[in-house]
Amino acid sequence: MTKKKRGMGVYVAGLFGFLYLPLFVMFIFSFNDARRNVVWRGFTLKWYKALLHDTELMQAMLTSLELAAAAAAIAAVLGMLASYAMVKHKPFRGRGAYDALLNVPLMMPEVALGVGILTFLVRAGYELDFTALACSHALICLPYTVAAVRARLISLQESSLEDAAMDLGATEWQAFTKVTLPLSMPAIISGALLSFTVSFQDFVTSFFVAGIGIVTMPIKIYSMMKFGVTPEINALSVCLLLATFTLIGLNAAFADRPDEASRH
Amino acid sequence: MGEPISRRSFLKAAVMAPLLPSLLAACKRADDRKVVNFFNWSNYIGKDTLPGFSKRTGVEVRYDLFADEDEMFAKLRAGAKGYDLVVIGDYLIPRFRALNLSEPIPPGALKNLNNISARFRRPVYDPDEGSVPYMWGTTGIAYNKKKLKKPPTSWWDLWDPKYKDRVSMLDNVRDSIGVALLMLGIPPTTRDPEDFRKVREHLVKQKPLVKQYSSASYLNSLVSGEIDLAMTWSGDLFQTARENPDLDYVIPKEGTHLWVDCLTLLRGSRHREDTLRLIDYLLEPDVAAANANSVRYASPNEKALKFVDPILLKDPRVYPKGAMMKNLRLNAVLDPEQSELWNQTWADVKVA
Amino acid sequence: MDRALSWLLGGRRALASHLLLAPASLWLIFLLVIPAGGLILLSFAKNGPYGAIVWEFGLQNYARAFDPKYLPVLIRTIMFAGATTVLCLILGYPVAYFLTFRAGRWRNALLVGLMVPFWSSCLVAYYSWMIVLGKEGLLNTALIRFGFLSEPIGFLYTPFAILLGLVYFYLPFTVLPLYASLDKVPRSVIEAAYDLGAGRWTAFWKVTLPLSTPGVVAGCILTFIPCLGDFLTVEILGGPRYYLLGNLISNQFMMAQDWPFGSALTSLLLAGLVGGLWLYQRWEKA
Repeated sequence: MTKKKRGMGVYVAGLFGFLYLPLFVMFIFSFNDARRNVVWRGFTLKWYKALLHDTELMQAMLTSLELAAAAAAIAAVLGMLASYAMVKHKPFRGRGAYDALLNVPLMMPEVALGVGILTFLVRAGYELDFTALACSHALICLPYTVAAVRARLISLQESSLEDAAMDLGATEWQAFTKVTLPLSMPAIISGALLSFTVSFQDFVTSFFVAGIGIVTMPIKIYSMMKFGVTPEINALSVCLLLATFTLIGLNAAFADRPDEASRH
Repeated sequence: MGEPISRRSFLKAAVMAPLLPSLLAACKRADDRKVVNFFNWSNYIGKDTLPGFSKRTGVEVRYDLFADEDEMFAKLRAGAKGYDLVVIGDYLIPRFRALNLSEPIPPGALKNLNNISARFRRPVYDPDEGSVPYMWGTTGIAYNKKKLKKPPTSWWDLWDPKYKDRVSMLDNVRDSIGVALLMLGIPPTTRDPEDFRKVREHLVKQKPLVKQYSSASYLNSLVSGEIDLAMTWSGDLFQTARENPDLDYVIPKEGTHLWVDCLTLLRGSRHREDTLRLIDYLLEPDVAAANANSVRYASPNEKALKFVDPILLKDPRVYPKGAMMKNLRLNAVLDPEQSELWNQTWADVKVA
Repeated sequence: MDRALSWLLGGRRALASHLLLAPASLWLIFLLVIPAGGLILLSFAKNGPYGAIVWEFGLQNYARAFDPKYLPVLIRTIMFAGATTVLCLILGYPVAYFLTFRAGRWRNALLVGLMVPFWSSCLVAYYSWMIVLGKEGLLNTALIRFGFLSEPIGFLYTPFAILLGLVYFYLPFTVLPLYASLDKVPRSVIEAAYDLGAGRWTAFWKVTLPLSTPGVVAGCILTFIPCLGDFLTVEILGGPRYYLLGNLISNQFMMAQDWPFGSALTSLLLAGLVGGLWLYQRWEKA
């Protein structure tokens, strides 16, 4: 019995090794003092220094951050409203359709989405600018915020705190602002952080929808790869990884906050 | 209304704050500040060229790069506005005109146009001289001297089964289809679908040998040993060979294309005057020479040749002479129907 | 004001629900439904010279999609996506099982850990694999050092590399739904099976596995459908010699400038999506 347990643990460890090995290698070689990144020649920080001096790159980073913030904010608001209606309201006609539709961005091949939005915007004469890209990202992030908030709302529902508040004389609006909203804050933030991450690392949709001058981090990495592979790309990728790690970690912290409602 | 609202609005404000500078920046970009938006190939200009221009004229140059001609074309086609100047291959000039993407440079607008050598004036692809030649070069074969026992001499070497999985071809319609037509002895102006069927079969036959179809990253593959032979553009190879002397370039005996990359003014440019100043600047002999020395392509600028590095001038691979020159031909100018046949054939080859 | 908002939130009338959902649905309509519709419309148009669009409607683009020229691409795509899904399922199920039943305290940490490669952008992931798989990369160097090889093998730009990249990227798409589903399996039912004398394997095979079927189906759909549209893996790790549907579509909108044909291909992809969605909805309710 213990052998089987250990076997499975070993397997999972191996799989995690498979997942992290390339990233680890990339990390190590970002310090390699050689242009052609194959033989270890010595430790250096020069690629990271080059990153800092690369203004185009810093611009791309800034763009990605702004984009992600905008997308996360929009998705959080939309998601909050949508999941409130789906969870708290009594079943209404068309709810199934909304449900299905909200799942679509998750399942949709990004190339179809990117191409569709590109075609639509171009033929409608709309310029492919920051706003367009931010809105497209918000669409992709929507399922994540909806899922995050929805799970929370459902568990809150079970503890009937809102109902208790209303029994005590509060209106729906008061119950919402004083009970529901504060208690679902961790979930909203968690959803927002997930959205931020999704938007930050998104490539395919940005590739098709981004106009000139909108260069996000992944797009910059892609063009750097096309021009030729140097350790600078490693350094950049490591930065992207670190950012992701931080965001996921933050998200985990928020998602795991003790449920005040469930303590009762 | 105490805590919960303020927490929420704080979050939203904190998140919206970064948007403000970008909104402001976006507004700034859309104005008539002294700037030229220049779209060019990667590694295709000297390091000090643009800073030199800015210093002299006070006009800022926003320099954007592309690694893929088709990606550039697709972006401009999709209506991405904002660029003033772009460097495109000669064969794209009629296409840009037909699609209203470009604007011809008014005759007499440029001071230094006469610096260009006679053989590049009033070219067949642009008789009205709405564009300005920037660099010219050839398409040939790059190879790793250490890996190949005998240097390649013919395009057919890229079809040699003994190089299976060690070959790379340019991911580009004009070069790949053009070379195939050349090898099969078919005139490039053909409209016969049967000819294109032969071309397609010829290229598909090569496919098992080809490790990569790429227009830029193949250079890295050459260096790292993933491939040993590649269809390449002259200057790109020479730039790579600077740090990797194992690599060499050869113009195959069947001959090849001489292509010219041209500076083209884009329609809707909001900085026309400054753009023309930039073009004039790029036509100055010492500037043109500095560029040519840096990117290792051949300069069409007659007056610049005396400033070009003599080693490059003497190198027949960079500036082909005499008999070899006769073997080089300009790209044929294709009309839409022919373009479509070329595009279609190439697409079919990629798909097979 | 309070009353209006309370009415909205109360949800006693369907209108309130629709209004609250309005922002989200506006987004979905303008950025999902209308573009999809636009694509379908465009797929019936003709491509003019130099990529201009001619609004003469016909089925020629769809006929072309099933032309023996392009059929290999469709078949190849389905095979790659299918192989990826199967591999992800086989490799991922034990992980999901472990997370649910064996991980205990480490469960959340491991979940987070599983997600990181997924969130770190496909580009970074594939680029890292390029470093490992290259002729002078880690794998070859290690194999040569330990005497398994005398000369490096070209791992890159092969179907092997493509499959590796695809499985690497889509594994979490499979594991997470599996985990979610396994988590819902009531332990009491499994205990009951043991009480009735079933061995570990039998209990798993006859109880746990069937109960996790919604997760399996969800995982497969969430892996297969997006995988059908993948083009980056082939571009970076494949050559691109092994053209997949995603590459073909991307090409139509970039290089080939044949938007109508590209739209037709995308519409086929969307049809696959709708099918997948329908399946997903059915199993969710189950």
